[in-house]
Amino acid sequence: MSLAHLNGGQQLAVKYYIVAVVLFVAQILFGLLSGIQYLEPDFLQGLLNFNITRTVHINAMIVWMLYGFIGSVYWLLEEESETEIVGLKLGNLGFWVLTSAVTVVVLVFLFIQTGPGDDFTRWFINEGREYIEAPRWADIGIVICMLIFFYNVAATFSKGKWSGIAGVLTLDLVALAGIYLAGMFYTTNISVDQYWWWWVIHLWVEATWEVLVGCLMAWGLMKTLGVSRKIVTTWLYIEVALMFGSGILGIGHHYFWIGTPEYWFSIGGLFSALEPVPLVAMVVHAVYDSGVRHSKGNNNPALAWLIAHAFGNFFGAGVWGFMHTLPQINLFTHGTQWSASHGHLAFFGAYATIIIAMFYIAAQYVRGQSSFGPATLGSGWKWKWALGLLNLGVVGMTVALLISGYEQSFIERAVGGSTWMGYFAAQIHPWFIQGMEWRMVFGLVTTAGIVLLVWDLLTIGKSRVVEQSRVTQTVS
Amino acid sequence: MIEPVELKDFFIVFFSGAMIIMSGALYALLFAWSRLQSKPWMMATAYGSYGILFISVLTLGSAAHLNGFWWWLVIAMLVGYLLAPHGIWKLCVGTHTADENAYPPVSAEETDNSETSLKSNSQKEAI
Repeated sequence: MSLAHLNGGQQLAVKYYIVAVVLFVAQILFGLLSGIQYLEPDFLQGLLNFNITRTVHINAMIVWMLYGFIGSVYWLLEEESETEIVGLKLGNLGFWVLTSAVTVVVLVFLFIQTGPGDDFTRWFINEGREYIEAPRWADIGIVICMLIFFYNVAATFSKGKWSGIAGVLTLDLVALAGIYLAGMFYTTNISVDQYWWWWVIHLWVEATWEVLVGCLMAWGLMKTLGVSRKIVTTWLYIEVALMFGSGILGIGHHYFWIGTPEYWFSIGGLFSALEPVPLVAMVVHAVYDSGVRHSKGNNNPALAWLIAHAFGNFFGAGVWGFMHTLPQINLFTHGTQWSASHGHLAFFGAYATIIIAMFYIAAQYVRGQSSFGPATLGSGWKWKWALGLLNLGVVGMTVALLISGYEQSFIERAVGGSTWMGYFAAQIHPWFIQGMEWRMVFGLVTTAGIVLLVWDLLTIGKSRVVEQSRVTQTVS
Repeated sequence: MIEPVELKDFFIVFFSGAMIIMSGALYALLFAWSRLQSKPWMMATAYGSYGILFISVLTLGSAAHLNGFWWWLVIAMLVGYLLAPHGIWKLCVGTHTADENAYPPVSAEETDNSETSLKSNSQKEAI
């Protein structure tokens, strides 16, 4: 695969995208293992325990999405700033440091699965915070890599041209790197620890990541549909205001049951109810734009994934989130498979979809195609089936987990009073087990989707390039 | 501070919560579509969706015991979802008007002359 025709930032972006895809595959494989272990708890017991498969599953998700975001920003950086990237060597160094750190962390997770929890393990084995289990040495490495990334973005825009997207993106990266620090210090009080831990998890996911996705969406709409920069920039500001307005204090819905004061009930409930407002805004704006502009895309797979993003974000974050966000009902649902159901659809719908859209935008340029439409892709069965299988798989898992979570909230929480007896009664209930079985079935559908997606990304537009070069050779 | 949902009301809370977001989006969708197409009858279906949202919010409020302070949440949702599409529509028109290449449609409520609808904009573009 020749990348010589790409600019420096894009070449670096391709490296990030490759690792992102590898980690995406790892996420799904370890998710499958975790799913099997739910049904057959003895499976790989002692060799690869459930706590490890689950840890790798969710950490791989966070990290592949981070790689996808970083890659996407590097992809658009030189084009958006209209200048060469300032610290390309530094960026490459950051990539290798981050990738080495991720590799070592995963290997340590796999080889040292049990042991004491003390200062040594916190520094070198596992920090113990769900989603961000990486030990502290790796945390420091991640922050350094994020600072390199921030420097490259800010310095390149400073050297070249600032735009609305550039300004929002740069400020967002300050928050992205800064908030991660909140998950790095140790305290013996679990309420205090959870309080700060949510700053990373919630504020990353429902504030800084959303804004980053807003920037990518704005740029992606200009690229795929030719929407005017002025319009996407104005709407980026509006969306950011709406998302920060509701999302920052929406963190309150994580503070209901961790020992924080009661006023978080009111704050969390109110602002969580406001969080779907940006989604309603998106609906009105999408209808307006589609009616006024009748725009035609130049990259069908990317456009299809952007549409999947709009629907996935709406249902995963909006509908699935609001159904159990008020404390009156969240008392029974938090921490059950309800949360997993919401998490699967929201993460896939809000983030995985748009990163995949960026993969396809990059693939179009890497293969040197002016468009990714029927003329260049033919029937495009691979990307269409990948799109269908991945979405079907994730939606199926979401519904299956919802059924299990519904049963858990009844049997374990409401009837069993959140006791151990209630927990086990819920875990062996036929409805719970059937939900988990269906989750496994749809997990396999998702796996088929990722296989096709990877195959498609490796081959899309390639035959056309080969044909063109043959024609050129014949003519010459 | 909060009165938990009763077991018998679990499904009602989940269902009405989902319906609030779904009917809110449907209201926004039909509202925008109606203005875009200058079809007043579609506006009636939009407000029909808002009616479903209204009932869903009250149902959720009742099942989730949204009393006292929480009543403000019910009012905020009812007023917010009603006005949000209007506000967003005005922003759409404003931002697109500012863009020199765009010909924003004029709503049926703003004028009776259908020539100023999207159709006429397409004609202008063709000219």
